[in-house]
Amino acid sequence: MWTPGARSLKRVLSPALELRGLTKRYDDGFLALDAFDLVVPAGEFFGLLGPNGAGKTTLISAVCNLVRVTAGDVDVFGHPHGTSEARRLIGLAEQDVNLDRFLDVEETLLYHGGYYGMSRADARRRAKEMMDVFDLRAKAKVRAPKLSGGMRRRLLLARALMHEPRLVILDEPTAGVDFELRLELWRYIRRLHEEGTTILLTTHYLEEAEELCEDIALIRGGRLLARDTAAGLREAFAADTLADVYVKAMATA
Amino acid sequence: MSRGLVALTGREVLRVLKLWTQTVVAPVVSAFLFIVVFGLSLGGRISEIGGVEYEVFIVPGLITMAMVQAAYANNSASVFQAKFDRYLNDILAAPMRAWEVNVGLSLGGIVRALLIGAALLICSLLVVDVPIREPLVLVVAVALALLLFSSLGVIVGIYAEAWDHTAFVNNLAILPLTFLGGVFYSVDVLPSPWEELSHVNPIFFLVQAVRYGFLGTSDVSVVFALLVTGGLAAVCVAWSTWLFATGRKIKP
Repeated sequence: MWTPGARSLKRVLSPALELRGLTKRYDDGFLALDAFDLVVPAGEFFGLLGPNGAGKTTLISAVCNLVRVTAGDVDVFGHPHGTSEARRLIGLAEQDVNLDRFLDVEETLLYHGGYYGMSRADARRRAKEMMDVFDLRAKAKVRAPKLSGGMRRRLLLARALMHEPRLVILDEPTAGVDFELRLELWRYIRRLHEEGTTILLTTHYLEEAEELCEDIALIRGGRLLARDTAAGLREAFAADTLADVYVKAMATA
Repeated sequence: MSRGLVALTGREVLRVLKLWTQTVVAPVVSAFLFIVVFGLSLGGRISEIGGVEYEVFIVPGLITMAMVQAAYANNSASVFQAKFDRYLNDILAAPMRAWEVNVGLSLGGIVRALLIGAALLICSLLVVDVPIREPLVLVVAVALALLLFSSLGVIVGIYAEAWDHTAFVNNLAILPLTFLGGVFYSVDVLPSPWEELSHVNPIFFLVQAVRYGFLGTSDVSVVFALLVTGGLAAVCVAWSTWLFATGRKIKP
């Protein structure tokens, strides 16, 4: 009788994301992640920094079941990442703007809701909410390829949040957007985090990571180099700024 | 049926309907032109085939050809586009089982083929008197043919690395095999070894099965024709299911 309760309790207390020995070797032999361990506590705003090819996108793709994992385990709030329960808890906004070219803004959100098991009525309600939040209502009937770059980026984020995930993964969400929109996206992401959503953010903008993230991990060559708060990293690397930390960490890798 | 599968099927059907001039009207018009040009203009010069007027004889094969090509072309294009533009990731990350993704992506081509088949049948009935003598056989034959070619479309869409690859299979395999599959003639009239060689053409058997459903006659045993079509459909369905279950060629 106690087992289900204990299991539920474990899941309530589980970290948002737990990677154990996660390894990904691509078919061409490239080792993108090398026995990677990481724990992201529930409710945290977590930043993942590293140069191109460090393994950030591979890590995210592994969590979201978009690459075939070579070895290791991934749990999302205590659920193995391949399960429906885990998948439903994750919202992903990829680095590339990968919107369905045949769907308009409203359809993009409604069909995404459907893929994630939302009822038609719930999906309609949430889609309206998302279009209002991201100022997309006027473009509801416009197909994705006809949207401006900024609008596409908003739609990508709205789609990721459509099914109300508890872990939101943002892979360079502000890449290529203007300063105004970047601040707007920051405001929204911060509000989301204040409401209890766990955020995993990758970015090349160090000031963005410093401004938003509670905890930051530096990775290179598929391995974790350092992990701490921005202040902790500055102290550990005897650096004045996060940029200096980054340069020192990458130089020693 | 899960909500995810309903949504994915809905998306695939919506794509077909949004592109209706290209996905439905164009194949219906071109197949109907075949019926009019070959059937009505040449039909008077060709004697009956197996006791059936020529313009009636070609209708089942032409409907089959239009349907299987549509099922293949739709799914290969839709899957390749989704993979190429990477919006397939939104589906692969969702809480849907592998078989649901496979079925959802396949149904778009099946719906498109059925729309084309129904429209062509209605158009054909306006100009020739085509009977449906064995409706049960017709339903089974069409179901197996669409299962086979919709799955083949999904498989090619997954393996394709450029648009050329999807067109290559259609232009150099499906279309020639269809023309050589007895759409316009009975293989009984072919000299040896062409008659025997026709029997290694898989499309020959599904044309025969569909023709039996319409006309009640075929060049081979209808049971054997259905078994061949069903066997090939089973192979393709198993192959596409395996691709989604393992993530091979879909996920790096």
